[in-house]
Amino acid sequence: MRRMISPDRVALTGTILGLSALLLSWLILKPNRLAVGTSLNLWESLGGGAAVAIVLLWLVCLVLSLGEVKRSHGIAVGVSANLILILTFILVGLASNRLLQGEAAIARVSLGTGFWVTLAGAYTVIFAARRHLDDRRTWRKLVSWSGLSVFAILLSIGWLNKVSVMEEFSGYQQRFVQELLQHIRLFGISGAIGTVIGIPMGIWATRNKYAEKPVFFITSMVQTIPSLALFGLLIALLSALSFAFPVLRDIGIRGVGVAPAIIALTIYSLLPIVRNTYVGIRKVDPAAIDAGLGMGMSRWQVFRRVEVPLAAPLVLEGVRTAFVQAVGLTTVAALIGAGGLGWFVFRGIGQAAPDLIILGAIPVIILAVLVDGIMRTAVRLGTPKGLGVENR
Amino acid sequence: MIRLHQITRRYEETIAVNGLSLEIEKGQICVLIGRSGCGKTTTLRMINRLIEPTSGRIFIDGRDTASIDAEKLRLSIGYAIQSVGLFPHMTVFDNIAVVPQLLHWEKKRIARRVEELLELVGLKPAEYARKYPSKLSGGEAQRIGVARALAADPPIMLMDEPFGAVDPLTRERLQAQFIHIQQEVKKTILLVTHDLDEAIRLSDRIAIMESGRLVQYDSPEVMLSRPRNKFVRDFVGADRALKRLSRIGIKNFIKPAATVNVNRPVKQVIASAGSYRWLWVVDDNQRLIGWVDRSTLAQSASIKEAMDEGDTGEISLSDSATLREALSRMLGLGFKCIPVIDDGQRLVGEVALGDIEAATTEEEDRQ
Repeated sequence: MRRMISPDRVALTGTILGLSALLLSWLILKPNRLAVGTSLNLWESLGGGAAVAIVLLWLVCLVLSLGEVKRSHGIAVGVSANLILILTFILVGLASNRLLQGEAAIARVSLGTGFWVTLAGAYTVIFAARRHLDDRRTWRKLVSWSGLSVFAILLSIGWLNKVSVMEEFSGYQQRFVQELLQHIRLFGISGAIGTVIGIPMGIWATRNKYAEKPVFFITSMVQTIPSLALFGLLIALLSALSFAFPVLRDIGIRGVGVAPAIIALTIYSLLPIVRNTYVGIRKVDPAAIDAGLGMGMSRWQVFRRVEVPLAAPLVLEGVRTAFVQAVGLTTVAALIGAGGLGWFVFRGIGQAAPDLIILGAIPVIILAVLVDGIMRTAVRLGTPKGLGVENR
Repeated sequence: MIRLHQITRRYEETIAVNGLSLEIEKGQICVLIGRSGCGKTTTLRMINRLIEPTSGRIFIDGRDTASIDAEKLRLSIGYAIQSVGLFPHMTVFDNIAVVPQLLHWEKKRIARRVEELLELVGLKPAEYARKYPSKLSGGEAQRIGVARALAADPPIMLMDEPFGAVDPLTRERLQAQFIHIQQEVKKTILLVTHDLDEAIRLSDRIAIMESGRLVQYDSPEVMLSRPRNKFVRDFVGADRALKRLSRIGIKNFIKPAATVNVNRPVKQVIASAGSYRWLWVVDDNQRLIGWVDRSTLAQSASIKEAMDEGDTGEISLSDSATLREALSRMLGLGFKCIPVIDDGQRLVGEVALGDIEAATTEEEDRQ
């Protein structure tokens, strides 16, 4: 009798990505930061022993993701993927030092596609592993964060300083801190304004049947405008305004720069917040509202004591989406002179220096993950007891 | 206590309630019944002003409700609904405490009251007070809903199908408990239902409504024996004689039963049994344990050997049962009479089929 085997498709996808990365170039040795350079494969880059270890770890993932899914597999697959990451990070640091020995001072070691595809594969596998660890919180945290933690430690002790991206960083250190803070300011301010405007708009839409349609029409339509186009529109609008009313220019509102960026980012953050607030309040059990009114609560008391707490989880979920989305969108703001991490991305594109692009892009990803984590905690804290799964 | 005077409620094209007048006496349960859309819920909701009447007036203790602040009015009226509407983010304790809190009771008084109410509805305070509604069964939630409505001890209760959302077995238990609670609290209650059996079981008076109008307002007995028109006759159904039996307790129909102690010698029993064919067998404490056929007695050495043992819960009735239950039990068991026991399982007598028949024909004759 043939046994039906249902492989873990997500883990399998990640593993195949990881295995295919073995054939790609891992490190690129360049005579200078803009030159093409020579590609090195896995064993040329990291050495034979490391290559064997990584291949073996991927094979473990392959076998486990083909078999029946069990929770212990989740742990094993997750740990393997993290080991691959840790091994890669450590060895890339070692290898870049080794490869640069005897080379000219302007020579660079860049990360190749093999490295990036390995990262993607490993995190796909980790994502798959997390799904099997819902009831094992410690393992879940370990599997999610250990690779990233080792990476952070290696970064801080200078282990990876010889990698080209870090060389770029050391050249732009001050600028980096400045643009990082600017990035946080931009998405932070626009997310906050979006929340302050969006929640009342959502509530208004539930209360007024004439408000509902236009509110959603406008917020959804704006969402479909490409960010670049919206920035462009705002530049035109704001320069016209500041030309007409010079007082605006005095308080810092001009066609380019921070003002249009914050306005555009705020507009984008409205839809998730308005929509979730609307749905959150609409979803409150009408019987609970009827009971509240029938028992003698005022309309305001029903809102404050019944609707707000019951809608809170969904509203906060909308705020989370808005913030995470804003982290990414803020990158584009650099194009109109608002600064932020996008500055490195567009400068990198301009100079045809891929490592500079990466210097901007990677922190954006990490920032998004961090903001997501923080906001998830906020959602959990904002969910009243009795509604959450924790209530057991 | 509650007086509705010529109440009308219009919705654009339709009239939900049409010139309805109704009076509910203090301490009575009035059940509003009718098909869905007949205006019964609208009527109920106009009493605590969740819906305002288009015209007409409602008086509570002689005061026009329109002159009372709506929220104050509602705080003084208990309100329980079919979907219960417990607040899922509040514990059972906080749910029950809502109205007392709105009335700014002291904390200690609220705690005492919640405990009292949980006990009244038969739920252990220690076990239930801290639970969240998502952890309650349907029956438990409905009982909490009733407890919440009773929280501030309002003289009036409005209940919209309060036992609607549970299975029939639980519903019957809740109704029995409700009758029991009402005997203790003596509220003036207006209850909406579409379940005629529930209405007959719970009400002092039934108000039947049809398309916004009151058709008949009478005690269940009168409603069943003298339906005013075809609509009411159809509504109460062809089996209304049977339904009426559920309004009559068996208490007045209990007759002394032929019993025999299980330890008595067989010969003595045969000699003294008279003309009875069946004898109920009891133990030394007068507790019913079975029955015996006199014809088999002669061939047996002891009563224990000759008797049929039965689950006493199955073959007997409690003395608080109704004639309808007695009849249904008899038909089920194939008995012509059925023993009645008290709370302590002691045999108090029996009810005979012939007497039930007599009771129904007597009623028919009176019509």
